[in-house]
Amino acid sequence: MASPLERIRIGILTAALLAPASGAWAQDIKIGIPVGLSGANSVVAPSVVQSAELAAEEINAKGGIMGKKVVLEVADDGSGAAGAQKAFDSLIFQKKVNALISMETSAARNAGLPIVTRGKTPFIYTSFYEGRSCNKYLYVNAWVPDQQVAPIVDYFAKNSKAKTFFLIGSDYAFGRGMLQFTRDYITKKGGKVLGEEYLPMDGSDWTAIIGKLKAAKPDALITSTAGGAPNVTLTKQLRAAGINIPYGNLAVDEGTAKSMGPDAEGIFISGSYFTNIDSPKNKEFLAAMQRKFGGDLKTPNDLSVPQYEGVYLYKAAVEKAGSTDADKVIAALATVSFEGPRGTIRMNKQRHAPLTMYLGQVQKDGSIKILESFKNVDPGAQCPNIK
Amino acid sequence: MAQLLDIVTTAAILYAVAAGLLIVFGVMKIINFAHGGFLTVGGYSALIVTRLGWNPWWSLAFALVVGMICGAIVERLVMRPLYARPLDAILATWGLGIVVGQVITLEFGREVQFVQSPVSGAMAILGESYSQYRLILVVLAVALAAALGLVLNGTTLGLRTRAVIMNENLARGLGINSGLVRFATFSIGSGLAALAGALITPLSSVDPNMGVPWLVNAFMLVLVSGMSLLSLALSCLVLGGAQVLVSTYGNPVAGGLTIVVLAALILRFRPQGFARE
Repeated sequence: MASPLERIRIGILTAALLAPASGAWAQDIKIGIPVGLSGANSVVAPSVVQSAELAAEEINAKGGIMGKKVVLEVADDGSGAAGAQKAFDSLIFQKKVNALISMETSAARNAGLPIVTRGKTPFIYTSFYEGRSCNKYLYVNAWVPDQQVAPIVDYFAKNSKAKTFFLIGSDYAFGRGMLQFTRDYITKKGGKVLGEEYLPMDGSDWTAIIGKLKAAKPDALITSTAGGAPNVTLTKQLRAAGINIPYGNLAVDEGTAKSMGPDAEGIFISGSYFTNIDSPKNKEFLAAMQRKFGGDLKTPNDLSVPQYEGVYLYKAAVEKAGSTDADKVIAALATVSFEGPRGTIRMNKQRHAPLTMYLGQVQKDGSIKILESFKNVDPGAQCPNIK
Repeated sequence: MAQLLDIVTTAAILYAVAAGLLIVFGVMKIINFAHGGFLTVGGYSALIVTRLGWNPWWSLAFALVVGMICGAIVERLVMRPLYARPLDAILATWGLGIVVGQVITLEFGREVQFVQSPVSGAMAILGESYSQYRLILVVLAVALAAALGLVLNGTTLGLRTRAVIMNENLARGLGINSGLVRFATFSIGSGLAALAGALITPLSSVDPNMGVPWLVNAFMLVLVSGMSLLSLALSCLVLGGAQVLVSTYGNPVAGGLTIVVLAALILRFRPQGFARE
């Protein structure tokens, strides 16, 4: 039988041990998430926030990061530059977040980076993009064209004996950037580009471009439009015109492919994440998402899964650095790794990550069949001037 | 040959989209900026038909009816009090277009939806393999033009409508209920917009903003056509044809501007546009 004094001591000890679970955390670690809750990215943003919430919940249930609770600060960047400036300003200077981890448009990222530099805040960018964005505080854990384009072009060259290609895109940074890279890659591999055509982002009438495509008679077609409507109008009009050459789409996600129904059947897509990746980590992740969000679950995708892994990568870096100090965390981020739904992610190649890429084909029921996987595809020389 | 088919089918699509706008403009002398909104209503009517599992052809009739009902309600509640203030009425239609888009977003979400097409694939014509649906659209647009011509020239309502178009005060003096004509016109115009929305779903995406890209071109076409359905057909052929040619031989980005730029030029040098007077 313990004395009253001892009982108090035990009580205090127990309380201290239970503290992380009962809310009395030493100090919080704040992670800022500037994301496009409104505007073009509003379709995908909820899924990004959901996967960050799951990561934070899992981490906090296991004692947080070095005993500190992870708190998420979500801010709307309006999917564009003006909104991003406000979002970054308020997250960095008012909320004083320890790090930024987010999927955004390229316009929003570019507008936010000067503020990141001024605020000296580590920033993990979790969206695939056109590549070569470099900053002392920036890390990227999603794909760049060097990783995504090759699987499609190589597959067409090998399996469909394609020698001539036709490229169609939306007229903006991502569309032109992706197709410029594709054109260079095809030429380097000895193929020929017969045409490269663009329509403004809000354009919906592809008649003339499809006419040129038919006249050029290429072996294969590769497109990179803005997400959502342009993707759908182009695909529908291609199908209506009876075009059935191999069709690779650099800009369609699993969800949009599903909503296009039978028109999407046969489209080749390439990415680092599909829901039916057959790995225990992915199944665990999907089950946990289903448990946490139930009927409100937004289908996890190639933009939301890197967000989940980004939070864990930051945790690993802080634990390795032993502090949240920006310079120490930045140094540590290149060395840590996390095994997530997409496999083991390590951002050790000039601030970018070698990734396992998958080539998939849309099936009749809208699901994606994975045809081939390419282990640890290198991002190439993205930021040679950053040490 | 392929360009000829492109021109004719493009003109047919433009005609279907602009016809409702022209009728409302003729009678009410206002541009109905909610036209894009009603187009969207038509697209979502087609979506409902797909969800109910009906034959996709039903979406045309369904969209027409839904559009007419929406138009009738809007005419009573929004347009009628503003007939004496045409500028405010134009602003009101613009706001209405935004409201329609938001209501649809609330109900169906922002994402792109899938609507089943009545036909798919290509068929052989004039030595070309060409989109079957676009060819059907030409037939439907001609049928639409014939039906509208018949209503305007062969029925009492059409006669009264033409009277109101020519001189509303005089028509009223002759005992024509111009309020009723306006009501009927706005309902039919909205119904036609929704019908066009359903017609373009096999080519277009169905999302809350689907009407926007079509509105500007339809607006310019109506401005250069004056009040006549025949001159609308002519301007669709000429301007739509120019768009196809510029896109094919020039650059599709410039092609997207063709209709707007040409229409502005035509109005500068020939203010009556394609109209006869």
